[in-house]
Amino acid sequence: MIDNFPPGFVMVLGALLIPFLPHIIKQIYMMILILISAYGLTLGFGIHSVINIMEFEFILFQADNLTFPFAIIFHIAAALNVIYGAHEKDWKQHVAIMSYSGAAIAAIHAGDLLTLFVWWEATAFTSVFLILAGNTNRSYKAAIRYILIQVTSGMFLLAGAIILLVNDGSAILTKFDINSLYGQLIFIAFGIKAAFPLLNGWLQDAYPESTAIGTVALSTFTTKLSIFCFAKCFAGVEILIFIGALMTFYPIFFAVIENDLRRVLTYSLNNQLGFMIVAIGIGSELAINGAVAHAFAHILYKGLLFMGMGAVLYRVGTCKASELGGLFKYMPITAVCTIIGAISISAFPLFSGFVAKSLIMSALGKEGLVFIYFMLLFASAGVLHHSGIKIPFFAFFAHESKIKTKEAPINMIIAMVIASILCIAIGIFPSVFYQILPYEISYQPYDFSHVVGQLQLLMFAALAFICLWHFKIYPPELNSTVLNSDWIYRRMIPLFIIPCINFSKKITNEIKIFFYLVLLRIKIFFANYMIKNKVFDREVGQDTLIIIQVFAIFLIFLFFLHYTSFTR
Amino acid sequence: MTSIIKKFGKINSFVLFLCFLLLVLELIGHRHGETDIEDLMFFPAFFGFLSCIIIFKIGVSLRSFLMKDEDYYDR
Repeated sequence: MIDNFPPGFVMVLGALLIPFLPHIIKQIYMMILILISAYGLTLGFGIHSVINIMEFEFILFQADNLTFPFAIIFHIAAALNVIYGAHEKDWKQHVAIMSYSGAAIAAIHAGDLLTLFVWWEATAFTSVFLILAGNTNRSYKAAIRYILIQVTSGMFLLAGAIILLVNDGSAILTKFDINSLYGQLIFIAFGIKAAFPLLNGWLQDAYPESTAIGTVALSTFTTKLSIFCFAKCFAGVEILIFIGALMTFYPIFFAVIENDLRRVLTYSLNNQLGFMIVAIGIGSELAINGAVAHAFAHILYKGLLFMGMGAVLYRVGTCKASELGGLFKYMPITAVCTIIGAISISAFPLFSGFVAKSLIMSALGKEGLVFIYFMLLFASAGVLHHSGIKIPFFAFFAHESKIKTKEAPINMIIAMVIASILCIAIGIFPSVFYQILPYEISYQPYDFSHVVGQLQLLMFAALAFICLWHFKIYPPELNSTVLNSDWIYRRMIPLFIIPCINFSKKITNEIKIFFYLVLLRIKIFFANYMIKNKVFDREVGQDTLIIIQVFAIFLIFLFFLHYTSFTR
Repeated sequence: MTSIIKKFGKINSFVLFLCFLLLVLELIGHRHGETDIEDLMFFPAFFGFLSCIIIFKIGVSLRSFLMKDEDYYDR
């Protein structure tokens, strides 16, 4: 029977039992759910489960070479989340994380657009509770904005699916034509969740408002689900190359000036998604492998960085660069793990980022897209600046803050150490890692040119940072809000709409007063007129009443007579 | 040597040493890139250093109009 359920479904269903279990048993139970769900990966490629509702076939469980790597990493991330959050007694977050990861895993196994839509919305409605769990006024407002945008994305997807269904009679998930209306609608739906330029506001707005463990889960699933969908439906669409290049490029500058370190990581997440989108836009086998490899490695090192910052948040209560510093002596293991994450994301040789990013850069070089290539190379230096150096440096070194704290809880450390080991293992054994990618490749990332070139780029970028810091050119971090594209709907649109609403209110009020006065005049006129003619002065006797009643009965009789003759 | 370490600190001196080593390595072996421009001598080194400075410069100049008070949205 379990073969008929898509992987992840058991996690969504099983999450409902979590509130009734005692603390440690809860964690064991969640691990068992993930293991049962992972069993679905052993069933091999093909369509495993289809149900027929209202003459429409829902393909619930379909596996192929693209779903496989995503399913593996989603399961690993879900398990790491369980370990990382094991100290948390709030069952609501565990239910949300378990059902959210389950929904994302089920979504990648959907074979048609309507099934995908159901899981697409499920990821939105389960993840919003993680932002609400932040339990502040800010997180509440951010959660409302988040769910509005996620549901909008779902509506675009549904609209596209329905148009496709009416046109073709089926909505199977396959490559779509970007020039068709349904293609464009679905493209926008995916684009919102992939945080395209100007559609990215929700990402930096909502993720840092979540709890320490919530943000780790959030950073994994939604955006990578969208990357998967792009790889499946829009591989080789040229415009993605330009959108992706823009995505790698502009978040760097925001990340450099942002003070909240978890928000810096969300900008960095946005920038990393750009690399994957560029690779999907190229569409060659090498590039798609690069996108998938990058998504796989990215989930691990970005999760690791969020875990490190989450541990700092859990112990210190803040993630602001302006308030942190010198935590290395209190949290050495967390610091080392965060540094490993930072080295991985910067793509130093022998770490996971290098073996994944090299595939994308080589694919770009092979296609001869020189300008895009240099944009991505520039972005790589930027990644080193804001994620590679800024994150560990301002949290654990920089200036001495007066904070005194202790090492992160043991479960957090275990999760971070496992993620670190995976980051290094992928970097050291790339050939094993490349075997799970969608297409077979014989690619060697470790040659003299690659390694020396990459090391020169990174080390000299690091040297530039050191010079800026050493000669005190680098300005101090300040408590601040950095304006992002969410400013459009949080400030700019209200700036226009609020005066409009006030104006319409004023107009309505004026009209109301006008009509009130007109009616009052009419009332006074008739009252005066009637008093003048002594309408109310007449005595009404019983005889008058009888005459009126007889007349009324006569009228009713006439009415019935007319009505009956009319119907005949 | 010890004066340099004292002046710049251990980690900074190590980075400086690695940079120097990488430049020497390029002279010993033959490095080629994905594009023709990359094949120029010490190109990645220059590119990395300059990129970092440019990112910093643009970032600092963006501060003036993108950076608002912390309670900007709460007001």
